[in-house]
Formats: sequence, C-alpha cells, structure tokens
Amino acid sequence: MDLNLLVGGEAGQGVQTVSGALSTILQRSGYFVFSIEDYQSRIRGGHSFTQVRFSTNPLRAALKEVDILACLNEETYQLHRRRVKEGGWVLGAVGNEREAHFQHFLPLNFEKIAEGVGNKIFANIVAVGAILGILGLDLESADSYLEEIFARKGEEIVEKNKQALRRGRDEVIPYVSSPLIEKTRRGNSSLLVLDGNQALGWGALLSGCQFYSAYPMTPSTGILNFISSHAKEYGVVVEQAEDEIAAINMAIGASYAGARAMTATSGGGFCLMAEGLGLAAMTETPLVVVDAQRPGPSTGLPTRTSQGDLEFVIHASHDEFPRFVFAPRDPQEAINLVIRAFNLAEKYQVPVIILSDQYLADSKWTYENLEVKERPDAPQFSSFPLPYRRYLISPSGVSPRAIPGLGKALVVADSDEHDEFGHLTEDLNLRVEMHKKRMRKKETMRKEVRLPYHREGKDLTLIGWGSTWGVIEEAGERLKAEGIDSGIIHFSEIYPLPLQIEELFSHVSLPVVVENNYGGQLANLLERELKLPFPFRINSYNGRPFLVEELLLKVKEVGKNG
Amino acid sequence: MGNLFDSQVEIAWCPGCGNFGILKALKGALTELGFSPEEVVLVSGIGQAAKLPHYIAANVFNGLHGRSIPVALAVKTVNPRLLVIAESGDGCMYGEGGNHFLHALRRNPDITVIVHNNQVYGLTKGQASPTSEEGFVSKAQPWGNLSLPLNPLSLAISQDASFVARGFSGDVDKLKEIIKEALTWRGFSLIDVLQPCVTFNRVNTFAWYKERVYYLDDSYQPEDRIKALEKSLEWGDKIPLGVIYQHQRPTFQDKIYSQIEEEDLIYRGVNFDDLFSRGLRLFT
Repeated sequence: MDLNLLVGGEAGQGVQTVSGALSTILQRSGYFVFSIEDYQSRIRGGHSFTQVRFSTNPLRAALKEVDILACLNEETYQLHRRRVKEGGWVLGAVGNEREAHFQHFLPLNFEKIAEGVGNKIFANIVAVGAILGILGLDLESADSYLEEIFARKGEEIVEKNKQALRRGRDEVIPYVSSPLIEKTRRGNSSLLVLDGNQALGWGALLSGCQFYSAYPMTPSTGILNFISSHAKEYGVVVEQAEDEIAAINMAIGASYAGARAMTATSGGGFCLMAEGLGLAAMTETPLVVVDAQRPGPSTGLPTRTSQGDLEFVIHASHDEFPRFVFAPRDPQEAINLVIRAFNLAEKYQVPVIILSDQYLADSKWTYENLEVKERPDAPQFSSFPLPYRRYLISPSGVSPRAIPGLGKALVVADSDEHDEFGHLTEDLNLRVEMHKKRMRKKETMRKEVRLPYHREGKDLTLIGWGSTWGVIEEAGERLKAEGIDSGIIHFSEIYPLPLQIEELFSHVSLPVVVENNYGGQLANLLERELKLPFPFRINSYNGRPFLVEELLLKVKEVGKNG
Repeated sequence: MGNLFDSQVEIAWCPGCGNFGILKALKGALTELGFSPEEVVLVSGIGQAAKLPHYIAANVFNGLHGRSIPVALAVKTVNPRLLVIAESGDGCMYGEGGNHFLHALRRNPDITVIVHNNQVYGLTKGQASPTSEEGFVSKAQPWGNLSLPLNPLSLAISQDASFVARGFSGDVDKLKEIIKEALTWRGFSLIDVLQPCVTFNRVNTFAWYKERVYYLDDSYQPEDRIKALEKSLEWGDKIPLGVIYQHQRPTFQDKIYSQIEEEDLIYRGVNFDDLFSRGLRLFT
C-alpha cells in the first residue's frame, strides 16, 4: 500500500495544521509517512499545499500522482486536478462535476460544514475528517492528536475540532463502498516523524551545543524555534541576533570563549555571514553554520527549494582557507552530520558548513529505528607551556587550543595576519608560514571525509548530493523494474572531496548528475577536481523538489541521448 | 614603570596620538582594580584604535571591523566571570558596527564599550567619520561632509543605556577614574573618549578640546534621564565630561541564565555523554 494525499488552500486556511495532523495520525496508526510543504511567502491568501504520502514501507521521496485531492479553495483544484490518479478522489466545493473524469468527486463545502460546528475556521479539520473517512481510519489517533495541539486553547475548541472531524467523516461515509485502507494497522509506537529542521536542531542538542545565535530566515527558522523550545532542558543560550552578521560573530565569540556554537541561515543571510566565515577561519575558531538553501539570487523565492549554494559556500569569503561542506540526505543523516560537524570543527578548528534546503527543512520523514551512530567528542582543553602560542606552527597545521579564563594562558586571536602568539604582523615570511599552516589542515581533512553512498549500476549512474538522495533512489528502483540497471553515487560529505574519490569514479557507468540548480555545481566541482567530463546533467531550478515520476522521465530523456 | 598588563608588542600609532592616553588610563584602571591579565578579555574591531588590545597583556579577540560588540556579548555570556571590554574607534563602533551598538543598548550585556572618538578615519587616512562635524573637509569630502555628526551619548541615553560617560584622552588620570567606574558597573557601560587625531584632524586638536571640556561636579545627578539627555546635547563651546547617565537594570546574562535556569556555561561541568543519552529520548 502506498497512498498520496494532497490538501491545498490559501495561506491562513490551516494547510500546515492539516499536514501536521495527517502526518501524525498516520504515523500513530502505524504508517510510514513522507510529507512535503509548498507555500508562498505570505501570511494570508495565495496558494499553499501539503502532500502527505504514506505506506506500510519506509518512504523517502514525494510523488506526482495523487490518490486524494482535498481542495479548501478553487485554485487548489485548478492547479492539481491533473495529478489525480484514475480512480482517485477529489473533495471540495470546486470545479464542475460534469467536467470531472474522476471516479469519485465529492463537492463538499468544507467551510459550510464547519459553520455547522460554529465557525468556518474548522474547515481544515473537516477536510481531515473526510480524508480519514475515505481511508477508513478510526478516529482514535485523530482525537488524541487534536487534544494535544488544541489543549492550550481550551476544552471547547478541542470539542469543536472533534465535532468538525466527525462531520467531515460522516459526509463521505455514504460514498465509500470500500475504504482505501483495508484494515487499520496496529499503532506502531516506535515510528518517529521528523523534519529536516528538527533534525538539525536535535543534532545540535545531542552535540552539546551551548550557544545558538541566528536571525530568522526562511527556511532555516525552524531550527531556531526548535532549539529555543528545548533551551531550558539542555542549557543552551539562544539569542535572536539583530542581523546575520551579529549572529555569526556572536557564535564565533561564544566558541572563542569555549562554548560549542552554531548558527543557521539561508543563502541571503549566508552572504552576510561570509565575512564572519573568514573570521572563524583566520582566528581558527571552531564553528558550525547551516545554510538552508532557497532559490536566489537575492531574495529569490523565500519559501522554495534549491541546491544553488554549493559553489558559493565552498568559496565564500575572500582568499583561501580550509572548510568542510556537508549536505545531509535526510533528517536521520542530518542529526549524524551535525554531530560530526561539531567534532570536526573542534578537531581542525575550522568552519563546517551544512547545506540543507527548503525541501529537506520542511519535509517530514518517518523512521522505525532511527540510527544515531555519531557520538560527540568531549571538548579538549588542556594546559600549555607559557607564554601560550595560540597559533603555534605545527606539522598538522592544528595548534593547541586554550580557552580564555580557564588557565594562565592568555588567548590572543586576531583577524589580521598574526604571529604564533596571535599578535598582528607585517612580517611577510611569517605570513607565508601562517597561511601554509592553515592550508595544511586540508590534507588531513580530506582523509576525514567519507566516500559518497555508492551502488553500482551497469547501464547508468545517477549522481547527486544532499536532499535529492531519496528521489534518486526511488527513480532508480523504478528504472530497474523497467529493466534499466541504474546505480547511484550520492554525496553527503562534499568538500573537500574525499581521498579515494578518483578511484571510485574510475569505473562508473554513464554518469548523470542530478541537481536542483542551473549550472550543475557538483558536476562542475567533479570536473574540476577529477579532470573527468560530466556532460549528462539533469537540472531543475523552478523552486520545487524533484518528484519521482518527473525525475524518471528526465532520466529516460538523457538515456535516449546518452 | 613596570605594569602587570605591559605588552611586548611594538606600538603602531603616530607619535603624540590620543590613543596613548586611553591605553595608559585603561592599564591603570585594570591594575588599580586588581584584575589579573587572564581574567580580562579585550575585544576590538579594525582601525588604529582597535590595535590597542595587542598593547595590553590580556586575552584578546581582535575581530572584524564593526563587529566587536557581538563577540564581546557572546564571550561575556558564555563566561560571566571574565571582565569583557570592547574597544574601537568611532568609525568601527558607530559606523560599520552601528546596528550592533544600537542593539547592545537594548540587551544590556555586562560589558564596557570604550570608543576612541577622534571624529575622523585615521587608518584609511583622513575621511569623515560618523562623528565628524558637518562641513568637515577631507580628500573624500572635498566640499565638506554633508551629514550631521552622530551624538552617541544622546542616542545611548534615549535608549536607556545602563551607563553612559564621556572622557578625554588628554586627561589620563580622570579618564582612568571614569574607566574604573565603568568596569565595576554591572551592565552595559559606554565611554565615548574624545581623542584628538594628531595627523588627520586639524580642527578637533588637543588645544581645541582643552579649551572646551569641563567635568561634571558632585552636584550633577546622573540618574535623571531627562537631565542627562539635556547634558548630552551640550557641545560646542562647552563639552561636559564624566558619568552623564546611569541606570541599573538587569543584564543580558542575568536574564538569559534565569530563563534557562543555569549559572553559567563553562564551569558547570557538562557531561556530554549524559546530555547525549538524555537527548536521544527527546522524541519518545
């Protein structure tokens, strides 16, 4: 069983509440859920929708074809009606019944039904009830979910929501000859639903992050909200900075003073942080920065997805310095990579950048046995010979790190070129030695980076990075089912490229690089570093994630030409 | 005379620079208050003034132009036992770092901000600064600076900054006393220090200041905000020096630690393993 629900309406009609409700109810009913959010940069009006896919098997991508389309307004119907499967359901007081070719068209006026409960604001919950009715799920999990999320608003609101849920269900029951779900699964309490932002925030808490400063920016804001909501339990200082420049400088100051520190933003905010990134590099202060990508340039599409920042973050800030660039493929890996980012930032005293995107940030994944394999290293501060040399020129390039106030060492850090003690210098021979010392780290850093996820395929190899892993995997499976042996190479740790990467690429079938950007930024990086051509590229930059069916078509097109 | 805070680093200031007075006063204040170098963190930005931390034996974070305040705030918040001083010039604090200055007034971190205000950009050789007088002529403003000078004191007092003072680098002893008051003040303290630039500011010279500055006497009540605002507007023939405004209010670190119910971040002895296993149960 594998079903796909789409609920849409205007901003303000509670589409996100529907997404949260359906995801949680289905997860508690024992299903694996995968949902994505599509919304505009506004508070009221416009068009937003959620897609909730669920199955008895684990899921990792979004589909184009829809089983149930619930429309809170006309626009939803017009925009998505072509995606409804043959035999699918359309719910809503929309369109014209005669033009509908669908098997099941129920012109339910959700708002009117909601008014029967007392207020049209319950229309979204009426829609949830109608969907649950068609699916044939009992309302037990739904009731307890409504109790949880509306408890703060009082008993009356909880009751009205429950009534709305029942009205929605009762409206559809007469039309449901056989529910889409044959038998309600027993609740599987070990299933966990997690979105990318929660995962990144959780990874920070697990790492012992003690200081988080950020300026709100879609789609990274969820991390700020998540860490703030747990700040007391985990003893984290969280500060909303006046701008991204302050956010990164605060995080650097906190790290200098001995705290594990992180900041997050989106591409535009990262532009402002570029100066601070160089400061972290020059002062060799450990720092973890998350860039949740959205389309640009400039303000671009604030609520949409993109993988357009890879080349930017690899090169951001002037002159050269080593850094790690990671891009988790799903929330589970996001947790692990944040822990790894903190460990490596401290080990090498360098900035680590984690690339997320709106798709990963907002999509909900379900895990049966969540694997957190990484462990945070204990902080390493010891005593040093005095006078202390913060930037001791060492063979590895890493110098012993002292923390101000924790011993007799005076810790001098400088954004200017400096001597071993940290004092500014104009000695150009020393400059050369210092720059070499910093750059030397890159050689050892390359050894730390793990090889990409790799599965061989005889006919072609789909190559990607970050959040596209799931959709590439599923498209690959469908290709296999059609007799095309498709392999995959997927990067989660992108920069520096790992040591054995050349060997890995020495025997790869037709490589096709799939990216959510225009230029093929990973492909460019691989061409430059591997001296190999990557002419076959699938690029999408319309602000939406790849859907399985769409990617499949594009791969077949490349196959024809390749 | 030898001092605990003496540094071996060669000083890169012009002979006769007003910065020397501030350096001497700050070292004197730190010594007289009995601090030891490892307890002190000096955070600065970029500019001639921002080199000062290198000339004092202490912990130093010489960061980016305009960005000393966010770094200083974070250092103090992470480790409240440290004495944290942010210092830099008028261009760094009020120009490039203006937004951070503004928000520090709101947050009230327990740091001291010392601004070397010479009303000119020295290191880039003589352009107008945020505090330059209207009409100030420079290579970049050959027909005169078009903007009015920023009044940092009025700005700070209008936003209820915790401690606002003005000093003069030509009077080291009195400046030292003002710095001592600021360093012992719990909350955000601003000292705007009038500091003649002997190379690029031919108007606001030592002599120009000496003719005009005067100290507030004991009858002055720095707790009265409206009077303080009036006093801060005095400029021209008579320029007041001393503590112009003070108002004790809870600091940033007091508030944030009371919210998360912790004492500090550094000394509490975090058990990372415990935190990790606790964290794993977050969603169950």
